[in-house]
Amino acid sequence: MSNVLIFFYRRLKNSSFNSSTRTLSKLQIRNYAKATSFPDYYQNPIFRKEDQVKLIADSDLKNRATVPVKPPTVSETSSVYFDPLVNKVINHVMEKGNKRLARQLVEKAFENIKRKQIERYHLASTPEEKAKIELNPKDILYKAVENCKPLLQLQPIKRGGITYQVPGPITEKRSLFLAIKWLLETTDEKERTVHFPEQFAWELLEASNNTGKVVKRKQDLHRQCEANRAYAHYRWQ
Amino acid sequence: MFTRNWKHLCRRYSQAVTFRTSEIYPAQHNENQIGLFYTIKPDLCKQLFNHGGLPKSFMKQTKTFTETAIMVRQPALDIMDCIRASDMNKPVIRYVLYGEKGSGKSLTLAHLLHYALEEGYLILHVPWVSEWLRRTPRHKEMTNSQTKEGFVDLPLDAAEWLLHFKTQNQALLKNCELKISKDYEWSKREKTEAGSPIAALVEHGINRVKYACDVIDALLLEIKILSNSKQCKTFVAIDGFNSFYYPMTRLNTPTKKKIKPEEVTLTNSFLELTKNDWNNGVVVLTIDQLAVPDENQESFLPRYLLYKKGFEHLDPFVPIEVGRYTDKEFLSCANYYRDRLWLRGPSDLETELKFTSASNPYNFMLQCAPL
Repeated sequence: MSNVLIFFYRRLKNSSFNSSTRTLSKLQIRNYAKATSFPDYYQNPIFRKEDQVKLIADSDLKNRATVPVKPPTVSETSSVYFDPLVNKVINHVMEKGNKRLARQLVEKAFENIKRKQIERYHLASTPEEKAKIELNPKDILYKAVENCKPLLQLQPIKRGGITYQVPGPITEKRSLFLAIKWLLETTDEKERTVHFPEQFAWELLEASNNTGKVVKRKQDLHRQCEANRAYAHYRWQ
Repeated sequence: MFTRNWKHLCRRYSQAVTFRTSEIYPAQHNENQIGLFYTIKPDLCKQLFNHGGLPKSFMKQTKTFTETAIMVRQPALDIMDCIRASDMNKPVIRYVLYGEKGSGKSLTLAHLLHYALEEGYLILHVPWVSEWLRRTPRHKEMTNSQTKEGFVDLPLDAAEWLLHFKTQNQALLKNCELKISKDYEWSKREKTEAGSPIAALVEHGINRVKYACDVIDALLLEIKILSNSKQCKTFVAIDGFNSFYYPMTRLNTPTKKKIKPEEVTLTNSFLELTKNDWNNGVVVLTIDQLAVPDENQESFLPRYLLYKKGFEHLDPFVPIEVGRYTDKEFLSCANYYRDRLWLRGPSDLETELKFTSASNPYNFMLQCAPL
């Protein structure tokens, strides 16, 4: 609320100067306590270089120039190795806002994947086998998450005093959430002596091969949905 | 199809030319090869570094890369030139390698060790001094010295070093006439007579771990005498030398008394070796921030890390800084990583990595890891 007040106060002050350029530059300056305390009409920032190029090419820039924009967070950079999914996974791993540690853990897992794959690459004898081996850890993460995403979900719906597990479609966002959540939950079921990065690397490699516990969990859910298809009509009745 | 393969081959070849050198003898390296990688043969690597000598993170890399490749860099070449130009009849020259954390001091030392091996030096190499004084595993063997009053022996570490010495100098110890000058009496029954080869002395130290520290003391003394009489030329390499001069070690006697480094027999033996009262030898030391605890790592310069005492002990010495990568070295290293599949992605990655790692070799290696 206070932000909104400040914002209008500034606009009032600036309008007295009657200088349009100044108003624009003043609009960009934001006094805020938290990154979350932005009003609804603040737009998300576009911080990737390729997105900005697209924006200019589509001549959308003019429309956005007059709209206030949130500042990007610290992790949202235009760096070459920024990746939205990796950032997402890091946020899932994070506990108590300790992002630095979370990032280190995920990066260590990537390193482990890379070492394993490079070793396998050198062991492979024929070029065809070598070509098959995926060396990029980010690609492996993408593949693993893609393989873990469920297509259906079960919703508890109460009809006639009985709660039915009703199968139904799942949103893209929730299936991504579930995939990452399952990957991390499975990783946590490790021995105490095994470190997180090792186990996480292992799970990612398994999932990218379409094997392993997480993929099995997804298939179990699908099977359950198939079994409960008789209840499907409860979704709308 | 053919043209594409051809192009691919050409590119591979041009890359191969820019970051690798086929010259595997360090003595042949010169200014033209700065920034290029040369490969050490596996058996040689085993002989030189089997008991330590290469940093742990680098060992991991060698396993992933399936080869041990070291970059030819200016500091190593400088020292080689100095060694060649210096007069061996004059007292030994002490070279001190210093630099930031992760700038490649230990690897420069490894390069020089290879050089020394090829040139036929007798190598006295301490892989990491802090291993003796600062690393305390649960069962650290420690006894009071029997020959020197008030001193402490580290028999297991000493025996391990003797084994290291033996593997590094296999060839020299086998066929060289390196004899000891006087009788050593270890106990009533055990005795090493004057005129027996130093291999026997080393063997005794390994078999009778109890006497390993005394054996090292005797061995270093004998090697000094042998070098003075021109029977062998000696190359002393000590990594993390400033650990000897840090006021405290992490060792405790069973009576909970803190031990100072100068109360350890090994320290005294190796400090004797770094004095310039002998000739026909080379002494290369590295000074590292990592060898001392975090609170005393403010600067990487020798005067700070060696304290006044250590600085005066070494005093006329040749300081050689091992710095960050130059542009050329950085580019060649990046190419090498790309060749070894360690680094991938668009080529503007390099500019960014160069900026974020500040061209520090270790940081660069670390930051490439998750990419």
